Amino acid sequence: MYMWRNLLPRLTSASNDGKHHPTCRCCLINYSSRTTLSGMFADRILILSVFVVASCGLAYELIVGALSSYLLGDSILQYSSIIGCYLFAMGVGSHVSKYVRDEDTVSRFVEIELLVGLIGGVSASVLFLVFAWLASPFRTVLYALVFLIGMLVGMEIPLVMRIFNERRAEFREMVSRVLTFDYLGALAVSLLFPLLLAPKLGLARTALLFGIANVLVALLTARHFREHIRSPRGVKLRGMAVLVLLLAAFVGAGRMTKLAEQGLFGDNIVHAVTTPYQRLVITQWKDDLRLYLNGNLQFSSLDEHRYHEALIHPAMQNLPAAHSVLVLGGGDGLAVRELLKYKQLEQITLVDLDAQMTTLFSSAARLTALNQHALTDTRVKVINADAAQWLENSYAQFDLIVIDLPDPSSYALGKLYSVPMYRLVSKHLAANGYIVVQSTSPWYAPHAFWCVVETLKAAGLHTWPYHAHVPSFGEWGYVLAAPHERFVIPTSYSIPMRFLDADTTRAMFSFPTDMQVPQVEANHLNDQVLVRYFEQDWGRMQH
Amino acid sequence: MQRREFLSALAALAGSGLSGCDRLFAHRPPVTVFRPGMQAGHSIRDAQAIPEPGESIECDVAILGSGAAGISAAWKLAREGWKNLILVEGPVPGGNTAGERLGGVACPTGAHYLPLPSMASVHIREMLASLGVIRSQPFSEKPEYDESVLVHPLHERLRIGTTWHEELLSGESDDTARFLNLIKQLRATKGVDGLRVFAVPLACSSADPRWRALDALDFRSWLQRENFHDLALHWYADYVCRDEFGAGYAHVSAWAGLHYFASRDGQASNADAGSVLTWPDGLHTLSQHLLQAVPFDNHATRRMAGSAVRVREGERKAEVIVMQGARSIRIEARRVICAMPLHVALHVVEDMAGHGFHREHLPQQSPWMVANFLLRRFPQETGDVPLAWDNVLQDSRALGYVVATHQLIRVAKPEHTVFTAYNALADEAPEAARKWMLTASDSDCLQRAAQDLLAVYGPALWREVEQVNIHLRGHAMSAPAPGFLSNTGLQALRSANGRVRFAHADLSGYSVFEEAAWWGTQQAIALLGH
Repeated sequence: MYMWRNLLPRLTSASNDGKHHPTCRCCLINYSSRTTLSGMFADRILILSVFVVASCGLAYELIVGALSSYLLGDSILQYSSIIGCYLFAMGVGSHVSKYVRDEDTVSRFVEIELLVGLIGGVSASVLFLVFAWLASPFRTVLYALVFLIGMLVGMEIPLVMRIFNERRAEFREMVSRVLTFDYLGALAVSLLFPLLLAPKLGLARTALLFGIANVLVALLTARHFREHIRSPRGVKLRGMAVLVLLLAAFVGAGRMTKLAEQGLFGDNIVHAVTTPYQRLVITQWKDDLRLYLNGNLQFSSLDEHRYHEALIHPAMQNLPAAHSVLVLGGGDGLAVRELLKYKQLEQITLVDLDAQMTTLFSSAARLTALNQHALTDTRVKVINADAAQWLENSYAQFDLIVIDLPDPSSYALGKLYSVPMYRLVSKHLAANGYIVVQSTSPWYAPHAFWCVVETLKAAGLHTWPYHAHVPSFGEWGYVLAAPHERFVIPTSYSIPMRFLDADTTRAMFSFPTDMQVPQVEANHLNDQVLVRYFEQDWGRMQH
Repeated sequence: MQRREFLSALAALAGSGLSGCDRLFAHRPPVTVFRPGMQAGHSIRDAQAIPEPGESIECDVAILGSGAAGISAAWKLAREGWKNLILVEGPVPGGNTAGERLGGVACPTGAHYLPLPSMASVHIREMLASLGVIRSQPFSEKPEYDESVLVHPLHERLRIGTTWHEELLSGESDDTARFLNLIKQLRATKGVDGLRVFAVPLACSSADPRWRALDALDFRSWLQRENFHDLALHWYADYVCRDEFGAGYAHVSAWAGLHYFASRDGQASNADAGSVLTWPDGLHTLSQHLLQAVPFDNHATRRMAGSAVRVREGERKAEVIVMQGARSIRIEARRVICAMPLHVALHVVEDMAGHGFHREHLPQQSPWMVANFLLRRFPQETGDVPLAWDNVLQDSRALGYVVATHQLIRVAKPEHTVFTAYNALADEAPEAARKWMLTASDSDCLQRAAQDLLAVYGPALWREVEQVNIHLRGHAMSAPAPGFLSNTGLQALRSANGRVRFAHADLSGYSVFEEAAWWGTQQAIALLGH
C-alpha cells in the first residue's frame, strides 16, 4: 500500500528542477553546506526522522484498522475502508503541503510531527473510550480521526523532501534515500506490530508508543534546525507538554481499557475473561456484585437470592425424597448453593458449557463467598459439556432437572426450548420428578413465556407456570413441569428462606389480570415460533 | 486524466500487493481428492481382461449396485421376507447417497435432502414410516414427521451482491407471482388419461401428448415464450436446474423443469409445504437405515464388496462376474436387478442391444463436485441474516453450501462443523468438465470447490479450515435434455421383464432418490409377484 510513494518523485519534481534560482527566496536562506560535518549530521537526522515518520504513519493505520475490526467486526470492510480513507487523506495532505511557504518548512514539519504524535498517540485510547461511552458517533469519530492523521502524515514526506531540496541535496540521491528509509520504516512496523507490539502492549499502548516516537523526532529536528524555526522555545515547550501527556497516558493505558469497559457496565470490573464461548465480566459497586455474559446481566448479588430461591425451592419442597438433581447451565453455582441446603440430596450434577466460568466460580474468593463454595462441595459434580449433547449421551436419571439456560434469542438457542429437547430431558427424569425451566419474563415477553408452557405441554408434561419479582431483572418467569399432576404449591418451607414464604409463594403461582395468557403455539424445531415471539416481545418493549 | 491514471495505478498496486500477500501468507489446508468409481469404471470401459473366476456362487436374486435403487430393491425384498439375495456393492457403495465422517462430523458426499413425499410416492412413505421419520398416518395427505429431521430454520438464504436474503425466490415481482400461481394450477392439472400431468414418480405422470409436447422445448425458451422476463425468476429456474439436474435451464427440457416445480406437493401435518427432510450426512443416514433393515446373514442374504463387470443372460440363469480387487467371482443368479448407472450397464450387460438400448440412448450425464470443508470454528458472518442450512450465492455458478451441524441442538455452536460445497460444473460441457476432473491437481480442485465460501468469507476462511475432502463424480446424474421423454432406449429398459431387469434413476432420465427408489422397489415387487 505504500507503493504509491513511488509516484512522489513525479509529483515533487515539478517544483524541483535541480537548478539554483537566484531570485527564489528559498535559495537566499543561508543553509550550512551539506559537505560540512554538521551538514551530514543534519542529513542523518532527517533520514532518521523519515524512518520514524514512515513507521508511525503505517502504525496508526494498522492500529486503527485492527481496533475497528475488533470492535465492529467484518475485518475486510474495516481494513479496506480505513486504508482507503487514510491513503486518500495522505493525498490531500500531500496536496496541502504545497501551501506551506518555503521559509516555514522546518517549523511546519516540527509542528506536524507534534500534532501527529498527539493525535495518533491517543487515537486508539480515544476510540476505545468513544466506543464504550458514546455508542452512536463511533464511526464518525473513527473516520474523522483516520482522515486527520492521514492528512498530517501525508504532509510529512513532501515537507522532508523540500527540506532536503532546500539543502541542495542532489535530487537523485535525495529521492532514493528518503524513499528507501520510508519503506524500511514501513517494513519494520508491519512486522513488529502483529508479532510483538499488538500482543505485548495492546493497541492503546502501541499507539501511544508511536506517538512518543513522533514527538521525539519533532524535538530532535527542532533542536537541530533551531535557526530555521520562528520560536524554538515555544516548540520545545509544546513538545515537552505533549510528551508528558503521552507518557502519562502510556502508564495509565491499562486502566483506560478498563475504564472503557466500565463505561459499558457502569461499575468497577473485578474480573473480566474472554472464554471460547462468551465475554464474562464481573463488576462490583459497594456490596453489589454483578455478572454479565456478553454484556447481559446474569445476576446482581443484591437480589439473586430471589431468583434462585424461586427457581429451586417450590420444586424441592415437593421432593422430600429426592436424591439426585441435574442443573443445566447455572455455572455461577448459585442454584447449586440453594440445592445444597437439602441434606437428602446425594448428588448434584451441574452441566455447564464454559469451563472458565465454573473454574472462576470455584476459585475466586468474592465469588465463592457468594455461592458458598457450592461448586467444590463433595456432593457436586461439575461437567463442562453442551447440555443437549450431554443428555443425548447419558442414561442418568434425576429427581429434579433445573434448566437455567440463556434466553431463546436465536434459532440456535431456541432449539433448547423445543418439544424434542423437553422429550429428551423427560427421558432423564424419574417418574415422580420435576423439571423447572427459567423461561424469560412473563411481563416483558408474555408470548415467549407462555410458548415455553405450551411447548412443555406438547412434550406430554403437566405444567405449573409462576413468576417472581427480581428487582434487577423485573418480573421473571419459571415453569415447573412433570409427567404427573401431584405438584402442591408450598405453604411452608422446611428450611429458612430470605424471600419465599406462604403468601409470596401463593402470589407467585397466580397471574394477575394484567398478565393473562395470550394465544400461542408450542415451539417446534422446524418452525421455532418461540424465537419470533421472543424477538417481537422484547422488540416491542424497546419502543 | 493524470489523476485517474494515478488512482487506477494505485488500485492495481494495492490489489496485486494484497493478493500477493494472500498467496504468501494464506495457509492452505490438507486436501484429499476422491474420484469415486472412476478407476473401476474406466477399466470396465476399456474392457480389461477378466481373470478366470476362482469361486462360484448360486443365488436367487443378484442386485448389482448399492445406490438408492439397489438398496431400495434389497430393502423391499427383505421387507417382504425374501431371503435368497446378494447385494453387490459396486465401486461406489451408497452411490449418490454416500456420506462420510470428517473430524467426527457426519457429512454428505452426495445428495443432502429429500422433499416431503408426494401422495403418489407410496414407496418413499413406506420407507420413512418404517424408519420412524413419519410418525403417524404415513399414507394420508398430511402425515406427521419427526421434527428433528424436518429442516430447522433458517432453511435457506440467498446472497445478492454482498447482502443475504432469507429466501431463494421471493414472490415480489409480478412475473414471480404469476409463475408461482401457474405452478399451483399445474399441481392440480390432470391429462386426458386422468393422471396428474406432473407426478413423482415420473412414471405416474400423464402420457397426454398435449402436455408431453413441452418436452420438445428447453426450459428457458418456455419461460420466454410464456412472457416471463423477471431476472430473479430466470436465475432461480436456472439455479434449480443446475442443482437438480446438473445442467443449466437452457439445456433442460421444459417438461422436466416444470416437473420439478409442479410435482413436489408433499405436505405434513406439522410443517409447511415445501419443507424438506435432512440428516447431518444427507441421504446417507436414510440409505444406511434401509440397508440395516436387510437381514444380511452372510449365507442366504449376502452383501458383497466388488463390482460386477460382466452380466451374461443364459437360458436358465444369468452369469454375473464380480471383480474383487484382482480376483473374480462368478455368481449364477436366477434373476438380476441391474442397479448400476446406464453408462456402466452398457459395458457390463452383454446384450444391451437385445434390450433395445444403444449407446445413442444414453442420457447426457452431468458431473458433480461435492467438497466437505472441516472447520475448526464457524467463520464470521456479516449482516443480519444468520447462517442458514442451505446458503446460495446469486452471483456464483456453483451451488452454494450446506451446514452439516445445522440440525443439532446445542447451547453453543459445535466446536467443529463441516460446510459441504456443491458444484455441478454446469458452465462447461460435461465432457470438458470430466476431462478437467481427470487431470485437475488437488489445488485446482480446492480453488474451484472453495469459490462460494471464499466469496462469502474471504481469505479469512483458510484460518478456520482444518481439512478438505473433495469428491469428483464425473457421471453423477442424468440430465433431462429436451426430448428425454421420447427416449425409446429408456422406455425399453423400463419394461424389460426377463432374467435381467433394470433399476436406476437413469431410467427416469434424472437423478433423485424418489426415482431411484421407485425403480428399485418396482423391480422388487415384480420379482415378488413371480
